[in-house]
Amino acid sequence: MASTDEELVARSQGGDLESFNQLVVRWERPIYALAYRTIGREEDARDVCQETFLRAFRALKGFKGQAKFSSWLYRITLNLCRDWIRRERRQPVAQAPEGVDLIELASEQSPTESIEDLVARQEISQAVARAMAELPEEQRTAIILKEYHGLTFQEIADMLDCPLSTVKTRLYQGLTVLRRQLGREGVGRHHV
Amino acid sequence: MCDKDRLVSYLYDDLTDADRAGFERHLRECADCRLDLDALRGVRADLISWSPPQPEFGFRVVREPKVLPMRPTWRAWWTPAAGLAAAAVLVLAAASAIAHVEISSGPQGFTVRTGWSSSAFAPASEQRSGETASRAVSARGDVMLPVSAANVDAAFIESIDRRLRALEVAVREPGLVQRASYSARSQDSDADLIRRMREMLAQSENRQQAQLALRINQVIGDFEKQRVADFSQIQQGFGRIQRSVSEEAQGHREITNYLLASSKQK
Repeated sequence: MASTDEELVARSQGGDLESFNQLVVRWERPIYALAYRTIGREEDARDVCQETFLRAFRALKGFKGQAKFSSWLYRITLNLCRDWIRRERRQPVAQAPEGVDLIELASEQSPTESIEDLVARQEISQAVARAMAELPEEQRTAIILKEYHGLTFQEIADMLDCPLSTVKTRLYQGLTVLRRQLGREGVGRHHV
Repeated sequence: MCDKDRLVSYLYDDLTDADRAGFERHLRECADCRLDLDALRGVRADLISWSPPQPEFGFRVVREPKVLPMRPTWRAWWTPAAGLAAAAVLVLAAASAIAHVEISSGPQGFTVRTGWSSSAFAPASEQRSGETASRAVSARGDVMLPVSAANVDAAFIESIDRRLRALEVAVREPGLVQRASYSARSQDSDADLIRRMREMLAQSENRQQAQLALRINQVIGDFEKQRVADFSQIQQGFGRIQRSVSEEAQGHREITNYLLASSKQK
């Protein structure tokens, strides 16, 4: 039976490096996804992901378990992303190829999905990435944490140090902007 | 004005049963909220399609061997030049201690004084007759000897003076020199002068040699005394260390015996 995060954290705090590496394996993809969707660059997201775990490892003794370990990691990641955005002085980029590589797409195709559906999905994905990159940082972060990481409103509020109602407002405003943006691009299942 | 926070909560299914029922009653009456809700559900469905790349990670935290920061040690600044300089200083210090050398500078140049007497060297002109203890070497390396006016014959000086004056007149009036021939008396006088000067030079040389020998003997004597004193101090030091070591060894022996006795009793 797999150990819980809390058990692995406790063992890591006792000096068990292998336990910490189990946490890395468990959380590296979600952390990378958060970094990638926030800053939009593959290589930089990788660096942020790596740095997140290094910082967590160094600060592990100070982690008292007030929040979930994953929430603590998310907070570190978001701080690093914020630093990256300030340092680069630019909006996140939507990395998307100009043309669609059908052979590459075919490798991602599920058995029940037609190639037309696959191309349409790819187009929507690129449109979403572009629209997300245009959002203000607060709205984008709220949407990412809610939509892709399934955090509760309260967890997001705690992580972003803002009231619950602010989280909901940011979500509503962000989703509304995306709806307009995707409508202008003419993709997806949006309603203008 | 509709409550958008409740709409968002309903969108994410984050309402209590009572609140959900209340909001659904509102939706039946509010077309704007129904349209809004449908549009946002569509956006959420679109968001699902955006997936990040799936890179190979494989980074793990490993414990590096501890590398202590390099603190500057004596080896860091120790160079052959520094070593030579230090050795030179040590040799000079040792030599100074042995020979009791004092170096000073003054109007007469650098003065190096050696020996164990406390009287400082004074220039030759300031030395009183008979003072032979002080020894000095000028910076040029010349031995400066005390010279007393009493050592020089007054009549001899007077004769030299007269001869010099005669030569000066001869130089000023060459005709007189050509006309006048040296008398037998003056020739006798010159020969006498040369002889007397040679005698004086020989006496001076003898005196210098005697004083130099005396000084060398004194330096050697001082060096020997110092060597004996140092040797005696070293021997005393070794004696103290030996006593201390013996006492410590005795203490250890007693402790060991006590421990052995205790262990046997047990």
